[in-house]
Amino acid sequence: MSTKLRACATAALAVTLGACSGSQVKLLDPTIPEPLIDKLPLSVAARYPENFAHFVHEEVVIGKEKWSIDLGRANELLFTQLFGAMFTDYQVIQQDTNPRDLAIDAFIEPTIDAFEFSVPSQSQTEEFAVWIRYRIKIFDGQGNEIANWPISAYGKSLTTTFGSDEALRRAAVLAMRDAAALVILQMDKATGISKLSAATRDPAMLADPQPAEDVTGEKVMQTTATEDPADDSGT
Amino acid sequence: MTRALDSEIRLALTRKFILIAAASSMLTACVTSRVEGVRENKTGIAEGEGVVIMAKSYHLGNETEAKFIACVGDAVGRGSAGLRVVPNNEFVDALFPWFEPRTAPAETKGLPDLMQRPGVPEKIAEKGVRYVVWLDGDTDRVAGGGSMSCAAGPGGGGCFGFAWWQNDSKYQASVWDLSGLENAGSVSADVSGTSFLPAIVIPIPLIARTQAKACKGLADQLKLFIVSDEGA
Repeated sequence: MSTKLRACATAALAVTLGACSGSQVKLLDPTIPEPLIDKLPLSVAARYPENFAHFVHEEVVIGKEKWSIDLGRANELLFTQLFGAMFTDYQVIQQDTNPRDLAIDAFIEPTIDAFEFSVPSQSQTEEFAVWIRYRIKIFDGQGNEIANWPISAYGKSLTTTFGSDEALRRAAVLAMRDAAALVILQMDKATGISKLSAATRDPAMLADPQPAEDVTGEKVMQTTATEDPADDSGT
Repeated sequence: MTRALDSEIRLALTRKFILIAAASSMLTACVTSRVEGVRENKTGIAEGEGVVIMAKSYHLGNETEAKFIACVGDAVGRGSAGLRVVPNNEFVDALFPWFEPRTAPAETKGLPDLMQRPGVPEKIAEKGVRYVVWLDGDTDRVAGGGSMSCAAGPGGGGCFGFAWWQNDSKYQASVWDLSGLENAGSVSADVSGTSFLPAIVIPIPLIARTQAKACKGLADQLKLFIVSDEGA
């Protein structure tokens, strides 16, 4: 076999294997910008699940490629920044700390319900799309669950613009920013968390909710914590 | 004798190459374009005021390519009549979360509410943004045909055949005036072009750059639209 022919064969093999192999993408501690909002006058604590410190998701396109994305501690950073900007007093507690021992208005437990992404070969487009479903449980100072709120966030990015790895990374960051925007916009409407400050001082407030003003400055009157169908923006 | 024959062959090949090069430089792909503007309110821009070029939200089904947005931003800021263009990621980050795909106002009637958000008017003033230009649209391949085959071997390679495809670039730019909280108007570009790829040993691409043409047309028209102080 001549040198040229061998080089061609090697190149063809490399291209073929490259097309089958997919990629491993790692998020390097992305941050969200400081939100332009007024803080809610609440003392809040949160506890993160273990996978917030290291979250890896794999997606296998049958017979074609295997993609994995390592979010690292991106979720931990996201919620720390987000809730730190939303509440006047915010702390993250460890697994062994009992929130009832703390003088707080509310206790929050965010978790990841689901993480999915699609790659161009699946969607037959040039885009990567990422869907993240978080669940946010909120408890009052006495440990009573007052809200169980699922939120769906979505981000997409074109592969032609950023290259495959960067496009998937960007889609994931956009999905996390989308989640942050959704929490800022709707958390108080959906969960009524702002009423907990008054309720801590006067528990009767919870039984007789008054219109509260959310972080976006809008008057709200909502105490249920059901999923908003409009949250499923990715579908 | 052999040397003379060699030089004759070389001369013939050079002639052929020059002929192909000249033909391909003269042949350009067909492109038709239409750029038009619709003015709804008076515009104009003062010293220190700038524009930001944004894509309409993908939550609304928009597919505008990021490279097109970057292209329009560059083109609007370039030249002697160039405007001050604030990078859109810088603007979106500064106003987080109010210009995210989910939260950005879809219509100008959302602007008064947006301006009442804490810190938003101050941040817009700090960035010096007078106009927000929302881009909508994309470039699609609408038709194509022909066939081409290429082969390579130890002695070399080549292609033979003919392929063609038609691209349509349709974009619209809506101009929002943040000083009056109103829609100043819109500029649209509709560019259609057919690319050809004939190949006799060497493929000669005759590419219709519809997206680049739409970018330039839209940017030039946007500059005129914003700078002009004509009334509605």
